[in-house]
Amino acid sequence: MNPNSWISKTRSELGLILQDMQIEHLEKNWIYLATAMIGFMVVILSIGAVFLHLNPPSHWETIDSASLHLGGEFAEDKLGVQPSKPSDVIIQVKLVAARYGFFPREIVVPADKKIQFRMASLDVLHGAHIPMTNMSTMIVPGHISEVTTVFPKPGEYPLLCNEYCGMGHDHMWSKVTVLSQNDWDARKNEGKQP
Amino acid sequence: MKGFLLSLICLGLAGPVLAEPSSEEPSSKVAWTLETLNFVKKGNAENGKILTESGKILTAKSCADCHNETSSNPQLDGQLPTYLYKQLVDYKNGNRKDPAATMNDWASKLSEQNMADLAAYYGKQAAKPGKGGASDPTGIVSVGDGKRMEPACSSCHGGSGQGEKVDTPRLAGQKAVYLENTLLDYREGKRANDIYSRMRLIASKLSDLEIEQLAKYYSTLD
Repeated sequence: MNPNSWISKTRSELGLILQDMQIEHLEKNWIYLATAMIGFMVVILSIGAVFLHLNPPSHWETIDSASLHLGGEFAEDKLGVQPSKPSDVIIQVKLVAARYGFFPREIVVPADKKIQFRMASLDVLHGAHIPMTNMSTMIVPGHISEVTTVFPKPGEYPLLCNEYCGMGHDHMWSKVTVLSQNDWDARKNEGKQP
Repeated sequence: MKGFLLSLICLGLAGPVLAEPSSEEPSSKVAWTLETLNFVKKGNAENGKILTESGKILTAKSCADCHNETSSNPQLDGQLPTYLYKQLVDYKNGNRKDPAATMNDWASKLSEQNMADLAAYYGKQAAKPGKGGASDPTGIVSVGDGKRMEPACSSCHGGSGQGEKVDTPRLAGQKAVYLENTLLDYREGKRANDIYSRMRLIASKLSDLEIEQLAKYYSTLD
């Protein structure tokens, strides 16, 4: 090691014994490569965050988690699949995650249509995940989580919490029924879904 | 200028809320914000003790005249202060209804501070344990029932029925008749001060027999 390099000087100032550090040629190459990769990724992330505004989706809107039920969009009578017209492109679903369930516990949505989930936590950190689909997000207390997805396949799906939230975490799941477009229209005509 | 701007902002925020069509009342007006939690925590047990005595709130009655060993009214000693405080507020606001209206009348005479003091007093008393030998034939206490989406009682009310700090009552040693009535009331929606219907949903999936067995389990739990 070069005795005039800053690291050698610092070491001698600190009274550390000057040792020659042996770094293999191949090892050195890997260090350069790894450092370059990390640098490259940091640059990409920074460009994304600063210029393209690619930030975690759950951190845009804040809400007071403790008083969700007192009013506003997560009031007790405003939850679930929101009323929609046949011409609507997006169907909105509002859910509250609270230990230990998603409320309402059961929802029915149509297949092949954009479903926008808006979710908030009443207490601690939760996750929302529907297996076999791409619907998955964190629900951070104090923030509204919004995720939009399309369910291509009708069927019954569980909506699971995938962030450990307490002793009843393994009981925290709710049911999502995805109906084919015909069944959905029939349900609307029967007046079961405004 | 700053104040003017602030009030403008507040008006702007309040505007859309006020403009929304009036919705249903929430099941409880208590929100467990940090301020409320600290307020309940600072309740004065000494003042609470005085309030429980005869003639302080009700003219000729003390709390213990009704909340005693012989009645079917709930055991209050050792109950969690947050839970007691919320029940009193809910009684006052009419979110929880006493069929005899006694508790509603009584709570309507209390100030917020009175409620925190009473909650602190009962929270400090030693809980009366059950006589022991509790067994749960339903299996719902410790494992719940996945097929019915029924979580285990113990996941919220604790492994030994001790309750949980924020608004989850202690169940161990509570009177069986009170527990049974409460679960039945939740199931029928007569009691509806649980936020997001959490207990109503849980109770709605229980049979009469299970309710009886669960009530017996927690009343004997020591």
